[in-house]
Amino acid sequence: MSKNVLRLENITMQFGGVVAINDLSMRIDEGEIVALIGPNGAGKTTAFNCITGVYEPTNGAVYFHDKVIAAAHPTGKMKRMYAGNDPEKFKGMHVQMTPDKITHMGIARTFQNIRLFKSQTAFENVLIGTHLRRTSNVFSATFHLNDKEENRNREKAMELLDIVGLADVAEEKATSLPYGKQRRLEIARALATEPTLLLLDEPAAGMNPQETIELGQFIQQIKNDFNLTVFVIEHHMDLVMGISDRIYVIEFGKQIAEGTPEEIQNNQAVIDAYLGGNDE
Amino acid sequence: MKSKQSKRPFIITWVVVAVIYLAVFIAEQKLPATSMLFTVLKKGATYALVAVSMNLLNGFTGIFSLGQAGFMLVGAYVYGIFTIPVELRAQVYQYYDGGLVQFTVPVVLAMIMAGLAAAFFAFLIGLPVLRLKSDYLAIATLGFAEIVRAIFQWNNLGPLTNGSNMLRLFPNFNDFNLRDADGNVTVYLSTLIPFIISGVCIFLIVLLIRSNYGRAFKAIRDDEVAAEAMGINLAHHKQLAFCISSFFAGVGGAMLAMYQTTVQAKSFTTAMTYEILLIVVIGGIGSVTGSVISSFLFVACSEWWLRFLDEKQMIGDFEVPFLRNGFRLVVFSVIIMIVVLFFRRGIMGDKELWDLGSGAKKQERRAAK
Ligand SMILES: Nc1ncnc2c1ncn2[C@@H]1O[C@H](COP(=O)(O)OP(=O)(O)OP(=O)(O)O)[C@@H](O)[C@H]1O
Ligand SMILES: [Mg+2]
Repeated sequence: MSKNVLRLENITMQFGGVVAINDLSMRIDEGEIVALIGPNGAGKTTAFNCITGVYEPTNGAVYFHDKVIAAAHPTGKMKRMYAGNDPEKFKGMHVQMTPDKITHMGIARTFQNIRLFKSQTAFENVLIGTHLRRTSNVFSATFHLNDKEENRNREKAMELLDIVGLADVAEEKATSLPYGKQRRLEIARALATEPTLLLLDEPAAGMNPQETIELGQFIQQIKNDFNLTVFVIEHHMDLVMGISDRIYVIEFGKQIAEGTPEEIQNNQAVIDAYLGGNDE
Repeated sequence: MKSKQSKRPFIITWVVVAVIYLAVFIAEQKLPATSMLFTVLKKGATYALVAVSMNLLNGFTGIFSLGQAGFMLVGAYVYGIFTIPVELRAQVYQYYDGGLVQFTVPVVLAMIMAGLAAAFFAFLIGLPVLRLKSDYLAIATLGFAEIVRAIFQWNNLGPLTNGSNMLRLFPNFNDFNLRDADGNVTVYLSTLIPFIISGVCIFLIVLLIRSNYGRAFKAIRDDEVAAEAMGINLAHHKQLAFCISSFFAGVGGAMLAMYQTTVQAKSFTTAMTYEILLIVVIGGIGSVTGSVISSFLFVACSEWWLRFLDEKQMIGDFEVPFLRNGFRLVVFSVIIMIVVLFFRRGIMGDKELWDLGSGAKKQERRAAK
C-alpha cells in the first residue's frame, strides 16, 4: 500500500447556520490523481480552503503526510449552532496553520476565480512563487548579495513558463492574457513553490474542448515530471473520467460516492445527483 | 531564453541623477545662499525621502498608514537630543538643568539612531495591529502620531525632550559648508548634502523594491489571499515593510530637524502627514520617481511659486481680486481636488523613470525574434 499524503477526518465547515461541508472524510495516497466533483455549491472549494488554511474547519482534522495541519471542534457560539456529528471527537486538539505555512510544507493550489498578481508580468508571477524557499534575508536581498539564488530562481521561473507553454508571453501583464493561459500561469506559479501535493480548483473552467483535452495530458505529465499527487475539482466529466485514479462525489457538503471512474459512472446516487442537471 | 532587462534605461537614469547633483553643486557656489531655490531644494529633498518611505508602505505593500508625522517627530527628536553640543546644552535645556543626556554622537550615527527609534515604535505598533486582517493600521498610526506629539511635550520628560520648548543648536545643513580659518564659506555643501543623504536612502529603498522582498510586498498589495497561498508570511512581510518605511521616515525627520534648525513637537501635525500623502498621490502611488518629482513640485508651489497668491498684487492701478492671506491654500486645495478627480494615477502612475521607453524596447525585442 502506498504512502498517505492527505487525509481529512470528519471535516465539518459551518458558516453561521449554513453547513457547507458535512462530516467529510477522505484520503489521497502518493502519486494519485483524485477528483472532487459535485453540483454547484456542493462545498468543493470550501474543502480546498479548509485544507489550505484559508478557513478553520468547525470540526474535524486534516493530516498532510500524517502531520496534523488543521484540527478543531465547535466552541463558543458554534457549540449551540453546530449541526454536524461528533462534536467531542477532536476535543483537546487544536491546530490552525496559516496558509503560507501549509504551502511551505508542500501543498500548492490554484484558484477557481483566478487570482494572479495583476500589476505583474507572467514571469514575475511565477518568480513570486520561488520567494518562500529563499535563503536570503531582507538585508542580503536589498544589497543583492543573493544574486546566485536570484538567478537560479529566474531560470527556474522561465523553465516553468516554458513547461506550461507561456515562455513567449513572459513579459506580458498576467491579467492581459486570455483565460486559458491565465489558468496555466496559475499552475506554473503553484509549481514554483515546489509542492508535493497540487490542488487544482476547476483548472479547465473557461477552456474550449481542445484546450481541455490538452490540459488533461498536461496534468498527467506534470504529475510524473514533478512527482506530484494531484487533487482536482472539475466539472468537465470527460477530463475527470480521463485522468482520475479515484473520484469523490459530494452533494450539499456530504459525500455521496467514492470510487474509480467506472464505479462512479454507474453509481445510482451520482446519476441522481447529476440527472438533468449536468452542468456542462 | 532568459528574461533579462536591458541596462540602457538605468544608465540614462544614472546620467540624469549625476547631472542634477552637479547642477545643484554648481548652483550653490554661484547663486546667493539666501535664494529661495535652496530652501525648496533642501526641503524638497527631505520630503522626497519621507514621501518615498510612505510610498513603500502605501503604494508598494498596499497597507495604509497615517503615522508619517509621528515617526518623523521621533526621528527629529532623537537626532536633536544626541547631537546638541555638550557645552550648549545648558543653554538649550535651560529649564531642565542642562538635560539628561550629556554626550553627543556623530551626525551620521545620530541619523541612523533616529531611523532605528522610529522603526522600533513601528515594530511595537505593528505587532498587534498587522496581525489583524482589516486595515486598522491607519487608525492606530494616526493615534500614535497624536500621542507621541503630546508625550514629547510632557513636562516630566523635559530633561530628555525639553518639554514644550524647542530643541536647537544641533548641527544643521549649513554646518556642512566648508569654511576657512576666518569662518568664511569656501565650498557650499548645505544643499548637496541633503541631496546625498536623501539620494542614498531612496536608492536603498529602490534596491529593496527591486529585490525578491519587494516582489513579495507587491504580491501582498495585489492579492493577499494569493500571496499567502504562495507561501508569503503576511504578518512578517507587512511588519518588515512597516518598520523599514518608518526607519526612513525617522531619518527624514532628522533631515527636517536639520532643515528647520529647530525641533518642536507641536509642529509635527496630522496636516504634515496629509501633505506627504498628497505628494505620494500626486506623484503616483507605486512610483518612486513620481514621489520624488512631486515632492519638489509640491514644496516649490507651497513655499515659492504660489506665495504671490497670499499678497496683494497691483497691475497698474488695478488691484487683482481675491489675492490675500490664505488664498494660496484655496488654490492649493482646488489643484489637489482636480488631481484626485481627474488625474488619479498621478504624474507617473506606477511607472519609474527607467521604465519610460520600455514600450519601445519591447517592440525592439519582438522585431528581433
Ligand atoms: N465565506 C463564506 N461564508 C458563507 N458561506 C460560504 C462561504 N464560503 C462558501 N460558502 C457557502 O458554502 C457553500 C459551498 O460553497 P463552495 O464555494 O464550496 O461550493 P463549490 O462546490 O465550490 O461550488 P462551485 O461549483 O460553484 O464552485 C455555498 O452554499 C456557499 O454559499
Ligand atoms: Mg468552487
